[in-house]
Amino acid sequence: MSTVDADAASLARSLELLETIILGKPTQIRLCLACLLARGHLLIEDVPGVGKTTLAHALAHVLGLAWRRVQFTSDLLPADIIGVSVFDRARQRFDFRQGPVFTQLLLADEVNRASPRTQSALLEAMEERQISADGTTYALPDPFFVVATQNPHEQLGTFALPESQLDRFLMRIRLGYPDAAHERALMRGGERREILSGLAPVLTPAAMLRMQRAVRGLYMADSLLDYTQSLIARTRSRPDLRLGLSPRAGQGLVRAAQAWAYIGRRAAVLPEDVQAVLPAVISHRLEGADASARSGEELAREIIEASAVPA
Amino acid sequence: MRPLAWVCAAFAGGVLLNIDRMPAWAGVTALALITWRLRSARRRAWLPPAWLRAILALIVTALVLARFHTLNGLAAGTTLLILMAALKLLETRQARDQLVLVGAALFLLLAACLDRQDLPRAPLYALQTWLCCAALAAVASPAMKPREAARLALRALLLAVPLAAALFVFFPRLPGSFWAIPRAGQAVSGLSDSMSPGGITNLVANYDPAFRVKFAGEPPPPAQRYWRGPVLHDFDGRSWTRREWAQHPRQPLEYLGKPVSYRVSLEPTQRRWWFALDLPEKSPAPQVTLTYDYQLLASDPVSDAISYELRSYTHTRGMGELSGTARREDTGLPEGANPRSRALALRLRSAAGSDADFAQAVLAYLAKGGFVYSLEPQPLGENTVDDLLFRTREGFCGHYASAFVDLMRAAGVPARVVTGYLGGEWNAVGRYLLVRQSDAHAWAEVWLEGRGWTRIDPTAVVAPERLTRGVFDLMPQAFGAGDRFLYSGGWLRGLLQRWDAANAWWTEKVVKFNYTSQLDLLARLGIRTPDARYLGWAFMAALLGWLAVLGWHTNRGARAPRGDALARAYLRLCGKLRRAGAARLPYQGPLDFARSIGAARPEFAPAVTHLLEQYARLRYGVRGARQPREVADFSRAVSRLSLRRRRAASA
Repeated sequence: MSTVDADAASLARSLELLETIILGKPTQIRLCLACLLARGHLLIEDVPGVGKTTLAHALAHVLGLAWRRVQFTSDLLPADIIGVSVFDRARQRFDFRQGPVFTQLLLADEVNRASPRTQSALLEAMEERQISADGTTYALPDPFFVVATQNPHEQLGTFALPESQLDRFLMRIRLGYPDAAHERALMRGGERREILSGLAPVLTPAAMLRMQRAVRGLYMADSLLDYTQSLIARTRSRPDLRLGLSPRAGQGLVRAAQAWAYIGRRAAVLPEDVQAVLPAVISHRLEGADASARSGEELAREIIEASAVPA
Repeated sequence: MRPLAWVCAAFAGGVLLNIDRMPAWAGVTALALITWRLRSARRRAWLPPAWLRAILALIVTALVLARFHTLNGLAAGTTLLILMAALKLLETRQARDQLVLVGAALFLLLAACLDRQDLPRAPLYALQTWLCCAALAAVASPAMKPREAARLALRALLLAVPLAAALFVFFPRLPGSFWAIPRAGQAVSGLSDSMSPGGITNLVANYDPAFRVKFAGEPPPPAQRYWRGPVLHDFDGRSWTRREWAQHPRQPLEYLGKPVSYRVSLEPTQRRWWFALDLPEKSPAPQVTLTYDYQLLASDPVSDAISYELRSYTHTRGMGELSGTARREDTGLPEGANPRSRALALRLRSAAGSDADFAQAVLAYLAKGGFVYSLEPQPLGENTVDDLLFRTREGFCGHYASAFVDLMRAAGVPARVVTGYLGGEWNAVGRYLLVRQSDAHAWAEVWLEGRGWTRIDPTAVVAPERLTRGVFDLMPQAFGAGDRFLYSGGWLRGLLQRWDAANAWWTEKVVKFNYTSQLDLLARLGIRTPDARYLGWAFMAALLGWLAVLGWHTNRGARAPRGDALARAYLRLCGKLRRAGAARLPYQGPLDFARSIGAARPEFAPAVTHLLEQYARLRYGVRGARQPREVADFSRAVSRLSLRRRRAASA
């Protein structure tokens, strides 16, 4: 079996596995995987108790990545994430003690509970994929993902992420309540995290990097790029949106569509792939810009339905 | 910067269209201000402050007032508008100001259209409309490239053409002249109500058209093409003048031969005569009277191009008697003038048996006396007729007509001078006769017992060839080198005839499309009641039809790009499915579409899903991997696909 087929098979296997842990949310799980395959950071937003953290754990576990978890609180400091320089008395010099960010997958739990200063320290690391401390630059491992969870803004004790920082998350997904059947299964089943600890990882970091390269190389026809551009242009021309999508969002949209097509085992990207990832990619970027109280998903739906797919 | 340049171009176009109407200094000032504004936009040069602009505006108004003594009227109004708009240009900073200037440019276009509607200007007007629309587009979106703005304007104008045509044909027109435009100081050359010996000579060098004639049947032979204009009765020894207030009963006529029906399209003359083939049967319009001496005299001067239908008889015989007053008026001569010719007349009359013989004798005298037909005769002295007959012996039609009538009257025979045109150039392209100013002519009419007023053309015996050929052919040396070059060449002449035919068509069908022609057209379309309401309905129908076409055009949905066979085939497939009741939503991709067909019309799914998947691969797959044959195969498969039968089978 070639590596390509092997990768595809293990990808399918990890999807299956994730679906046994997070019940009834196949689309969200696929989006999460697509986000990571597109080298993007993921934001999971929902009310407490619907399985955000479990999903993040499951991802880290199944993908076979080294991971660490940081619970964000209002008194968390940047050094608690990045690391500190400690004076080594014996050797008469400062040593840099790496913080939890030096890992392949960082779980940033309840990221909006930390102060803006700490948030921005993390978000800088996300964008640059490196850390600067005391004049030295430390590269973060590759792959490097941040999977952040956050509670909705309305909750007490939260600092909303500004648009500039939201823009750095490739996708934002919402889990939502499970339907009755899956909720019943949850009630009957055991503690999810215990199930997790019993699982062997399916993928390896090397396989992850290989798949990321394959995703980037997936063919996207010019006519499809035209269509994608027309979607983005529409967000910029709408009078009810203060801000349109950034070029970074456009890049991310293309990458995410490629990842979606890769998961669907297609050799080229289709308009459907762009449409499938569009809500997750753009909803968090547009919500803050919307004058009305529509959700980002509704806006994304409107934008899709207003743009014709050219023949 | 870019919108400003467009606005300046549109405004400059408006100025140029009106440049001959205003004083030179105004045109130069306007163009200089445009240049200044453009330079200042490029180099951030100084622009005058508000107080200075106000002073300039006052100065400009004063200058226009000083030049025209009014601010009304086309010339003064246009000049003022141009100068004020040029000053406005100096304070043009925002899009709003630029829109005002484009508005001014459009108004200048309208002003130019008001009284100049000839064919050569039509493309200029179209160009200026385009320029103004492109300027509007550029002002509306400054980032637009010049080419895009021009293309957008062209597209908008082309889309508007059907509506404009419908408006032109169906918009209710008012009878009579709607615009009363005062036209001051427009000197128009043409025949006047007086004739001095050299008078017509000036006209002969003028090659402008006087009128065009379209005949219902065959045109009369060239020697019969006498176009009657002013009839002159009074002679002061030098010039002939028309008698303004004379009223006599019109002689009853017996018509001989067949009538000639025709339509005259008269160029503006600023005079009251309408020209007709000698002799018209009756007046063509209520405001025109047929006078006792068979002139067609309108109540108002001809200030716009007009056309009218007439019927004439080239051969007639007068039936009545000449009244005493009329006889007196048409035998009067100035006391003591031209004694030698008077003696000659009396001698010839006593030798002749009758007035008719006498006229023949005078013609014979002119034919044999060594008289020369010339456009540049020597000047005549105090006694013009004596000088011509016994000294210079050279002259033009006016000279001979004048001398002939003088001789007749000297012997007591009633006679008068008739001016008008003789001949004309047959335009084979438009099948009409073009009569030019250079065809101007003068002849005599003599009262003969039993025959009434009889036309006698003394020029015909001096220069018989004038009857069949124009003055230009006879004496080309009298014309300028430019005219000689233009009108003598073979192919060039043919080209000019074509051009003239196009011009005539334009004037007849477009410029003069008025209340009556509108009714004619509607009658041909089957609407016979002359009622503005029908026009309104027709107009509304045309408007709605046009909007429907436009709506269909824009709402036709996706159209295949040119040369994209795959897109065409795919749209064909979508069309088939739509007709079978499974329409693709505009935002659906091919696989999404296949899924929805599977849900809504599962009976189509087996046949269609494969096609849609094939399309997705061809359209979005790696381009290099696609064979041209595959597109053709797909197209054929789409053609073969028959959904109706499938539905019948499943039903």
